[in-house]
Amino acid sequence: MALQDYQNNMAQTRNYSVSSLPAVNDPEKVYADISRRDFESYLKDYRGFENQLIEARNDTSLVDRAPGEIAKQNEIAAGIQRRNLSRYGGAGLSIAQRQAQEANLQRQGQLGLAGGLNTARIAQRDLNKRTLTDLINIGQGVNRTANQGLATASQNSAQKAAAYKNAKAAHSSQMMGMGAQIGSLALMAFAI
Amino acid sequence: MSSKPKKQNYQASEAEKTQASVAKAEKDYFDQTYAPLLREMRDTSMKEDLTGVSRGVASADTMQTLTGAGPTLSGSRSVDEAADLASAAGSQMIAANTVGLGAQRQEQVGVLGAARGQAGEAQSGLAAASRIQNTKDLQAAKAKQQIRMARANAIGQLGTTFALQGMKNKAGGGSFFKPGDIKEGQSRLDYGMGQMKDYFGIG
Repeated sequence: MALQDYQNNMAQTRNYSVSSLPAVNDPEKVYADISRRDFESYLKDYRGFENQLIEARNDTSLVDRAPGEIAKQNEIAAGIQRRNLSRYGGAGLSIAQRQAQEANLQRQGQLGLAGGLNTARIAQRDLNKRTLTDLINIGQGVNRTANQGLATASQNSAQKAAAYKNAKAAHSSQMMGMGAQIGSLALMAFAI
Repeated sequence: MSSKPKKQNYQASEAEKTQASVAKAEKDYFDQTYAPLLREMRDTSMKEDLTGVSRGVASADTMQTLTGAGPTLSGSRSVDEAADLASAAGSQMIAANTVGLGAQRQEQVGVLGAARGQAGEAQSGLAAASRIQNTKDLQAAKAKQQIRMARANAIGQLGTTFALQGMKNKAGGGSFFKPGDIKEGQSRLDYGMGQMKDYFGIG
């Protein structure tokens, strides 16, 4: 963003006022709505992505690509060698020397394939493990947040239940007291 | 007796309502501004070809290291130059695939972490993809090539000195292998030591 655009943007921002704040009469309801909407957004936007990433812990793409990779690089090196030899008019090599060069390239290709596959397997294992560890860390965080949410909800619910029970007990003791008072008054009034 | 509790006394206060409306405004702003950015990052992390970036860097590194100086006769005659190149390039490509995929995963995990409200990785995958360590195969091939080139240079230098000295001997009245100023009966060792003393100004 150019400085001019930034300044225009700032000027626009200065026109905002607190009166543009949304009216909230029932914070509890707003919070409940937002929580529900957030979870719906997560389901819609990220659940599939998350599942795909969890599946990626079994990825084999590095190992699958290795043989083709080695063969291709061998081909490129052989091409370079052929062109260089033709540049130097065969470079004075005998047929036996040429054959040795080709045999060496082939042997190196096979060794490269074995080594490359091993390296790719180790790298794949390492990468998948790292992905899994990261996912577990995220999962642990999600679990912790969910547990905290549940704990708060159950605590609130238990507090409300206790308050209700106390209120009920207070009400019935108040009613009993009132009944006893009315009874006493009646006894006194009728001078029994 | 106390009066009945009034509902309005238990409703949210003005301060609480204001606090809630500020929080809602912030939340709406986040949803409109940052949530789409995170979704964009999610799509980028799935589509972006970071392996292609790292492969490009690896390929350029390998070719620059091993063929950057251009073809040489000694290299073309060498029995293992092409094999070394193939081996180094293969190793570099596998390393590049690993780095590219690793960077992509890192980006994806970062997006998921942010979406799940956990700490996200702020590092750009692109920067990570271009950081490829040279594999030991490339280093070995480079070292071998350096030795081969140094050997060829040394042979070239010795040959040139040999030819120049021969011509100097001939120009000084001697033969190609014998200098003109060597005394009768003087050994090569004596002559050489004398030349060196003159050169360094000793005695």
